[in-house]
Amino acid sequence: MMKKLLASILAAAMIGTALAGCGGSGSTSSAAPASSAAPASSEAPAASSAPAETPAPAASDLNVGVFYYTFSDVYITSVRTNMDAKLNELGVTFQNYDGNNNQANQLDQINTAITNGCNLLVVNIVETSSPDAAQTACDAAKTAGIPIIFFNREVADDVVNSYENCAFVGTDAAEAGHMQGQMIAEYLLANYDAVDLNKDGAISYVMFKGQEGNAEAEYRTQFAVEDCDKLLAEAGKEPLAFYNAGNASKYLVDQTGAWSSQAATDYMNTILAEYSEANNNMVEMVIANNDGMAEGAIAALQAAGYNNGYDEENNIGKFIPVFGVDAVDSAKEKIQNGQMTGTIMQDAEGMANTITALVSNLNSGAALMDNTSSFNVDAGVAKIRVPYGVYTG
Amino acid sequence: MSNNPGKAIAKQPWDAKRVGNLLLNNALFILMFIAIIYIAIRNPNFIKPASLINIIAQTAAYLPVALGVAGCIVLTGTDLSAGRIVGLTACVSASLLQAVGGANKMWPNIGTLPIPVVILIAILIGAAFGAFNGFFVAKFKLHPFIVTLGTQLIVYTLLLLYVKMGNNNGMAISGLDDSYKTFITGSLFSIAGTPIPNYIWIAVFLTALMWFIWNKTTFGKNMFALGANEEAARVSGVNVIMTTIMVFALAGAMYSITGFIEGARVASNTANTGFNYELDAIAACVIGGVSFVGGIGKIRGIVIGVLLLRLIFIGLNMIGINQDLQYLIKGGIILFACALDMRKYLVKK
Repeated sequence: MMKKLLASILAAAMIGTALAGCGGSGSTSSAAPASSAAPASSEAPAASSAPAETPAPAASDLNVGVFYYTFSDVYITSVRTNMDAKLNELGVTFQNYDGNNNQANQLDQINTAITNGCNLLVVNIVETSSPDAAQTACDAAKTAGIPIIFFNREVADDVVNSYENCAFVGTDAAEAGHMQGQMIAEYLLANYDAVDLNKDGAISYVMFKGQEGNAEAEYRTQFAVEDCDKLLAEAGKEPLAFYNAGNASKYLVDQTGAWSSQAATDYMNTILAEYSEANNNMVEMVIANNDGMAEGAIAALQAAGYNNGYDEENNIGKFIPVFGVDAVDSAKEKIQNGQMTGTIMQDAEGMANTITALVSNLNSGAALMDNTSSFNVDAGVAKIRVPYGVYTG
Repeated sequence: MSNNPGKAIAKQPWDAKRVGNLLLNNALFILMFIAIIYIAIRNPNFIKPASLINIIAQTAAYLPVALGVAGCIVLTGTDLSAGRIVGLTACVSASLLQAVGGANKMWPNIGTLPIPVVILIAILIGAAFGAFNGFFVAKFKLHPFIVTLGTQLIVYTLLLLYVKMGNNNGMAISGLDDSYKTFITGSLFSIAGTPIPNYIWIAVFLTALMWFIWNKTTFGKNMFALGANEEAARVSGVNVIMTTIMVFALAGAMYSITGFIEGARVASNTANTGFNYELDAIAACVIGGVSFVGGIGKIRGIVIGVLLLRLIFIGLNMIGINQDLQYLIKGGIILFACALDMRKYLVKK
């Protein structure tokens, strides 16, 4: 009897709190569009009953939710560090969320943030292989009448065009692959004979892919080799040869999909056990989708006596060229020490600056895409491209 | 429940049923043998010394986690926090052993610590989290699945916070001191021109140590008694709480040694390091006959389980099989091995 009573009291209490919670969130969500109406300027949806004459909000009115696809990604963490600094500088309230590489999780976080009074979404979407997740996030923003900025991981044009207060800040996914291919070709044409260890006229290489089904991984894997081959052909050289002719896919992928160094180390150790200069079939070049995998491959190469950097007499010793993407600090250090060849710079600070420029537009009451003439904007869609750069030390 | 089901039929004649049983009971070894022969025919490089040493080296790198988690499985539990503990201890070890003067040194003011000190710090961290797991399991009678699910998340937060500390800002921790790299990936001697990396010796030592602990100490016998039947163990005077805490702490110490090894072996440590290591380790244990029924398992089996998983990874790579199929093969072997394992006990009932 006591137990039953207790249970019903508890249940009543829970329902009560749930209702109170609903009431609370209800009132904040109705407040959210009101405060966002001003930043979204006159284009605020009719559903929000905001008075049109609201003056531009003070800095503290902007409540930004920043949704990262995962906190464990090194490059994204450097974007996060930069974003935190810029947003603090701007004096806006913001909160970071870790999607933990789980799209369902991230959508829940977005919906919770909206009910919690968040009036600007900055989203690094998890799922990139279909536009549905980004569309869902965009629709949630539209319904709430608040602007949404996607960044880093590409979303479809249709998604961005489906809502006037939606923009994308990112890189051109294919560009990193193209630039990597060009960087590799330039390096090879300058050092062809030194790289071609067995003098068979073709450079044998291994490609480490970060993840299956990720647009950036696909483009980098494809274009790094295609573009390099094109330039090699123009110079009258043979195309790159994947080290293992029996592998039709021509890449080795991290099976956990985490772009991890450890996967590259294990693969590279396995390769080095079978391919060596003594056998006259040494892998002559390493291409990786990101710097983490490049560094993992270098760890294995170093154990085999390669890529140990400059010695006391400033000699480089045995060296296999290794290329990555991201230009994280540790990779740049390796390039300077002569342990790695080159990387493509993803400009974390530039990314954060561009996003913050849009945020400050909203903060000052301007439209989302105002004052963006200095940026590289796509035609016909609100997508800003932060350029990559080549880093070779 | 005997540890050796073979004994019961030792005096039977060699009829078809017995041969069949013998084949089934050793099916895993037979399959492994067939696989090795098949791969070696497709690619003769597979059984050359350099390749064999690579297989052993990769087995050695993943072995300590499996040796640790096996103890938890013997107690009818599991440990999901293994991977994150590996990650945390790898990052801590690497950050304390970065080369002096590197531009990205995480703690520029502490120089490079002596290796034994760092090993000790890593082991203490791992053992502390292990003991924490064990305490919740023993004291509050929570299933280890739940406890370690919680701990795994807690450790992940510490890991995320740690990589943002000092000068690091969430970057990969690399630029390691030569003494550290030499200690792990250097070698004392070579066989057929291929150096034997030092971490193989660490794994050999740990295997011997764990064999001794499991088979020759009171603690080991208590662990098996507790895993087989908690009530019986309690009645016969086993300190259940202490034993459980010790088993998990020992497991944590094992993870931290893998963390210490991975820190230098992979040499690029991020919050992602160690992710999912527990899954391979648990798979290796069950393949090797460490049963979720509890109280059953052999060190020999664990070594074979880890070896088999590495054979699949390396072998399928060397014969260039479609990578999409690798998960299927791995999953099939896990199911097959466990079904075989359970069959031994079901027959007796």
